[in-house]
Amino acid sequence: MSDPLLEVRGLRTWFETPKGTVKAVDGVDLTLERGEILGLVGESGSGKSITGFSLLGLVDPPGRVVEGDIRFLGEDLRSASPRRLRDLRGNRIAMIFQDPMMTLNPVLRIGTQMIETVRAHAKVSKAEARAKARDALCQVGIPHPDERIDAYPHEFSGGMRQRVAIAIALLHKPDLIIADEPTTALDVTIQSQILSEVQTLTREMGMGLIWISHDLGVVGQLANKVAVMYAGRIVERGTVDEVLDTPRHPYTRGLIDSLPMENDRGQPLRQIPGNAPPPLGRPEGCPFRPRCARATEACLSEPAETEAQGRGWRCFHPLEEEAMA
Amino acid sequence: MTGTAPMIEVAGVTKHFRRKTDLAERLAMRVGLAEEPPTVHALDDVSLQIAEGEVVGLVGESGCGKSTLGRVVAGMLPVTSGQVARDGKDIAKLKGAEARAMRLATQIIFQDPMSSLNPRKKVVDIIGEAPRLHGLVKRSEVRAEVERLMGLVGLDPAMANRYPHQFSGGQRQRIGIARALAVNPDFLICDESIAALDVSIQAQVINLLVRLREELSLTLLFISHDLSVVRYISDRVVIMYLGRVVETAPTDRIFDAARHPYTQALLEEIPRIDRRGHRFSSVKGEIPSPVNPPQGCHFHPRCPFAMDRCRTERPALTQASPGHSVACHLDGGTGRPLSEAGVTTGDIPAID
Repeated sequence: MSDPLLEVRGLRTWFETPKGTVKAVDGVDLTLERGEILGLVGESGSGKSITGFSLLGLVDPPGRVVEGDIRFLGEDLRSASPRRLRDLRGNRIAMIFQDPMMTLNPVLRIGTQMIETVRAHAKVSKAEARAKARDALCQVGIPHPDERIDAYPHEFSGGMRQRVAIAIALLHKPDLIIADEPTTALDVTIQSQILSEVQTLTREMGMGLIWISHDLGVVGQLANKVAVMYAGRIVERGTVDEVLDTPRHPYTRGLIDSLPMENDRGQPLRQIPGNAPPPLGRPEGCPFRPRCARATEACLSEPAETEAQGRGWRCFHPLEEEAMA
Repeated sequence: MTGTAPMIEVAGVTKHFRRKTDLAERLAMRVGLAEEPPTVHALDDVSLQIAEGEVVGLVGESGCGKSTLGRVVAGMLPVTSGQVARDGKDIAKLKGAEARAMRLATQIIFQDPMSSLNPRKKVVDIIGEAPRLHGLVKRSEVRAEVERLMGLVGLDPAMANRYPHQFSGGQRQRIGIARALAVNPDFLICDESIAALDVSIQAQVINLLVRLREELSLTLLFISHDLSVVRYISDRVVIMYLGRVVETAPTDRIFDAARHPYTQALLEEIPRIDRRGHRFSSVKGEIPSPVNPPQGCHFHPRCPFAMDRCRTERPALTQASPGHSVACHLDGGTGRPLSEAGVTTGDIPAID
């Protein structure tokens, strides 16, 4: 089959508020194949999480997907019935949230919750569902799964809870997982353990994974492809090597340059001046213009994407490829 | 430079937290019907020195006691045992004007500016309150002083009449910094002060702290879980694990020649954009609970080099080279040199 696992074209998710329309996601294109990990990078307010929610039909009013095409293995998700979406969610497409308590019910044993999830999508006996749940816990590295399956969420540490949430996402061996900053709140050694599990699982199971994060370091080590979001749009995309080694958009360059590891001690950190524009006060044209050293009058109109074979950027004055050290 | 005494000297400080019991519980405990409430061993015999003008990075994961240590150093929490001395004087014994001066000279900047700034006060009052109350500026001069401080931290003084919610996250952190500087401290404790900020804003605030440190000759205790930030800003790094200091060394020694297996694991896990397709393989297991820490070396259940001795005997903080101390039984009590540990350090850039 030639249909990609996920194809998104021109996605716009807007929120109607009394003060005006917040264009949280404003024209996003994404493509993901099986076995690929896409890092969706951006700072707070860039629209990266809303992009993830939009794919699953999880945007609550006043938010609404106003435009765009979302295709999962060729099937149009935007016109899918709520019933069809419910069939897909948790079964073929799963989501992992930053806070595992968004997934877990605090008053139910995790076994109960997992059995419920299994039986929502598959006609199996309780005992079979329980065995499946136990295997999933084992897979994400929870010690003593036979005992822990009867524990309540509060009896787990933060890292273990996130593993349970990942185990639930994996129950039906989904084709696509959307992970929204699932390790941001965890300690580095625990984050590393979970990244290691995720890496192995995508490789073994051939899933597609969208990893939403603000952390370029994690994305660089985990992902195959990167898309950088700024003010509701993808401003640059390509393979990890392309985007991180030869960034063409000044914003991507600025993000990389401001990482402390990329700077020499004793020198001021290279910083991006100013703040991200508020969602209701985005400047005309290129939204990065007021913070950009390369901006000219041309940037007063909106840059279209320059794209070839999955490598793209939205900038009138892209950085030269060889300008990189 | 004031003689030989370090500016801050933490000597053998232990800090336990225990839930308060009511009368009924105490009676029940006395007759053996109830057990004593569990004790959290937040700090366990911690010693630390900070010289004037130094920037010390204090690194550890959640629950390791780094924030408790910051609060103990600031005099906000009493110690269970041990002592904290400022300029050679035990801060617990200071009285009256001397105690007040010590507290003003030490200021903390917290992680979340939204929960440390009063949402119902204007910025001019938030920043101006302390210097006015302590009589550092006249009431008529408060406004000018606040405007000067706002300029110092890169805020537009015209925004003095706004409320905290009208500022962005980075600007709020600048308000927190301005408030701390308002009482002319010489020692700042930054407790995860930049952890909640976006990358591009984080760089701005780090640059501000570095500039202020130079302009105002500040001494900094920089508490963070992020080794890449600590590497950039600190002169010396202290690594904590479960209430104990496990390694301390000048920054370039920590990054080039770490000796404690825990430090080495942390270094290995710094997310780095130049390390593609990295196979994540971290130390195994969870951070144990400080309510019931393991015997011996606290790190032994997760340590790939643990020996029998590590399970029973606590390793002392031992000097491996001048300024570099390690608490590990390996290699004669000085840990395991990084080069032997199989850790690939070739990709960590040289620090000038």
